[in-house]
Amino acid sequence: MRSKLPDAASSRKMAASSAVVAILASIWLCSSIAADASGSSSETTMHTNNWAVLVCTSRFWFNYRHMANTLSLYRTVKRLGIPDERIILMLADDMACNSRNKYPAQVFNNENHWLNLYGDNVEVDYRGYEVTVENFLRVLTGRHESAVPRSKRLLSDEGSHILLYMTGHGGDEFLKFQDSEELQSHDLADAVKQMKEKHRFKELLIMVDTCQAATLFNQLHSPGVLAIASSMKGENSYSHHLDSDVGVSVVDRFTFYTLAFFERLNMYDNASLSRLFNSYDPNLLMSNAYYRTDLYQRNLQEVPVTNFFGSVMETVHTDSAYRAFPQKNTPRETRIRTGNTAEDDSRRSILTDMTKAECPFTRIVSSLESKMETVGNLDSLVNYGLVMILPVLVVSVWLST
Amino acid sequence: MPTANTEEENSKSELQKNHGGGGGFTRWAVVAVIFRLALIYFPGNLNLSSRPEVSTPLTSIRRLAEGYWLKQSSMSPYAGSMYHGSPLLLSVLGPLTVKSLVFVLADLISSILIRATGRKLQIAYRKSLKSLNLLNKSTDSGALSSGDIAALVYLWNPFTIVACVGLSTSPVENLFTILTLYGAATGLAPLAAFGWVMATHLSLYPAILIIPVILLLGYGPDAPPSKLFRSKEHGKVGDGKSSQEIIFSWRRVFHLLVWTSLWSVYVLVLCSISVKQHGSLQEMFQRTYGFILTVEDLSPNIGVLWYFFAEVFDFFRDFFLIVFHSNILFMILPLAIRLKHRPCFLAFVYIAISSMLKSYPSVGDSALYLGLLGLFLDELADMQFSFFLFCGYVGVSLLSPVMHNLWIWRGTGNANFYYATAMAYACFQIVLVVESVSSMLNHDRKLTKLSTSKLQK
Repeated sequence: MRSKLPDAASSRKMAASSAVVAILASIWLCSSIAADASGSSSETTMHTNNWAVLVCTSRFWFNYRHMANTLSLYRTVKRLGIPDERIILMLADDMACNSRNKYPAQVFNNENHWLNLYGDNVEVDYRGYEVTVENFLRVLTGRHESAVPRSKRLLSDEGSHILLYMTGHGGDEFLKFQDSEELQSHDLADAVKQMKEKHRFKELLIMVDTCQAATLFNQLHSPGVLAIASSMKGENSYSHHLDSDVGVSVVDRFTFYTLAFFERLNMYDNASLSRLFNSYDPNLLMSNAYYRTDLYQRNLQEVPVTNFFGSVMETVHTDSAYRAFPQKNTPRETRIRTGNTAEDDSRRSILTDMTKAECPFTRIVSSLESKMETVGNLDSLVNYGLVMILPVLVVSVWLST
Repeated sequence: MPTANTEEENSKSELQKNHGGGGGFTRWAVVAVIFRLALIYFPGNLNLSSRPEVSTPLTSIRRLAEGYWLKQSSMSPYAGSMYHGSPLLLSVLGPLTVKSLVFVLADLISSILIRATGRKLQIAYRKSLKSLNLLNKSTDSGALSSGDIAALVYLWNPFTIVACVGLSTSPVENLFTILTLYGAATGLAPLAAFGWVMATHLSLYPAILIIPVILLLGYGPDAPPSKLFRSKEHGKVGDGKSSQEIIFSWRRVFHLLVWTSLWSVYVLVLCSISVKQHGSLQEMFQRTYGFILTVEDLSPNIGVLWYFFAEVFDFFRDFFLIVFHSNILFMILPLAIRLKHRPCFLAFVYIAISSMLKSYPSVGDSALYLGLLGLFLDELADMQFSFFLFCGYVGVSLLSPVMHNLWIWRGTGNANFYYATAMAYACFQIVLVVESVSSMLNHDRKLTKLSTSKLQK
């Protein structure tokens, strides 16, 4: 009797423990597979489009410079090639037509007034009181109500590079939205994590120009994210200069030097991100620009700034509607210029090597096919075959009479 | 022996009588070609190639141009589900800028072939009547023989003209079907095999014509039922007259099968070379035959399938596809049993049924069987309701575009208006088929009665 009970109990214990071990092992396996998949997915997808989300989080007349920051960056990003369809611009938009604006419907970022940022062709997607933390997070994660129009949605996919620029007033791990709400660093990290899970970006560059901006990135963990901030914890970000005519400061230092870097570029320059990051001088900025690259796998010297700040698409112009491509042209030649071409080519050649069959039948078929390719144009062969039908028919009819 | 000579002389003199009619045919044929050319080069835009009665997803010239452009852009011509025809047609018709003349030529050749088939049928008809001693002067036709009349009906049918000027590919499909019948009627197995293979390759439905083609090659052209000849044999025992026994010629059928397989292998090899670069043969079959059989495109046409399949639930879709296609298939065997002594007429009935019940019918298909109807004028002279059918066809062909305009362009009608004319058209076609079959059978019964009464004399 005594021997039986421990046996039953011990067997039950063993079964329970083995079940627990099996469950843990499967969980570990699944997570490793998932990590593998998510880790390698950003390398295997191709970069296809660029998006920009430009957010100005302040309102009121004395925050003129924040709107000027955002509009300057909007203008730069458009000049370098991203179209309005792929820019989400969130502004309080109460500067240009403010009753205190001496230059109505004009916004400047320089005391020389040589450029009107609010000229024609500015498309604001979220204006005024629509710029809230909730809308910002909805834009990032794509979780909108069904009535929201497409122009207000971030319709990115797994091949998108997204530039996220935010400016305004901020502090230790928070950003102030329109003087009434806060966006915290874990809200931002959570939204970025959701975006990564939903494959809404291939690479993300977050650029923040506020006081103590670097603290906003403390909670970020998603791979493929690059972050640059205008100041570190405990430092303020300062405005660049005061326009005595308009009466307020018109631009912030970090954005001013960023724009200075980009004004020298055009769409086809391949200046790298490391050059951009190294161009910030702490003495001129009066703060330490901080950039976080531990989540980003690629070498910054190889990444052109147009990967995020512009959009370079190669188009092939044809004159005739029906002779678009010569027959020998492969789709590879008309691809968008990406940074990954060398890796893609090597990966492709590895795959073709692996699929070479050993069976003699397929070898015969493949040799026939290669011979047919050396014949030249297959179409002429088909035409020849069609023309041959007629004499064969005549001969056969003559033979059968 | 002397009787055989006089028979030949009689048939030759009859043919010479018809040569006067031959001049008439040539004149009318030339005028028909000129009329088509005048319509094609008409300065205004007739817009016929966009009408649903003329161009279906299978026969539209715009889809062919799109498929050709896709092929030239190094893509499979079936990408994007526009083109659903044969890749060989792309190689022939794609690069041509004078496409319209190809269709006029196809119509002309079809009419010449119909005329030749009609002559063969008429010679065979006279021979069989003569052997039954039923031939008399009153059975002579007028200035034009039935073959001429059929060819002219085919050329001058407004349906054919519209299909030709509207640049649909149905004149080419009709040409191959008529070539099949001509080859079978004249006993040329390679020609019949070629026509059958090409017609089936271009549109799936002429596949059922293999049965009348086998019967034509085996038994010869249309003749009264064989029992008449056998009873005549019994009646004339000891008279020394040669019997008209009709023996099934297996040799010709064997030739036909051999040539069919040869031509189909040739066509398949050409197609596979043509689609090899950017597609596969399986994709070709899926997009041509699969498209025809699964009725993917439900845009309105003069048939009866589109409205039905727009309403049917997905769960029952496959079932009703099988029902509609077997609607054609289950009529094959009974008709073949009943009309095996008249294989050309059997072919006409098959073509009429498949033109009515196919997935994407157009007026080009109706033009084919209306032309072939003329071949049997001698036998179908007593057809009932012929005037009613003629008025019905004219009425439906006038009313159907009006209803289409009301539905689509003005918005004052709806799909039921248009579908009502489609159903009326189907009804008239059914009445035509039924009446023609019954009058053909009545004709046979009349012949039987006459020949037995002559035997008893």
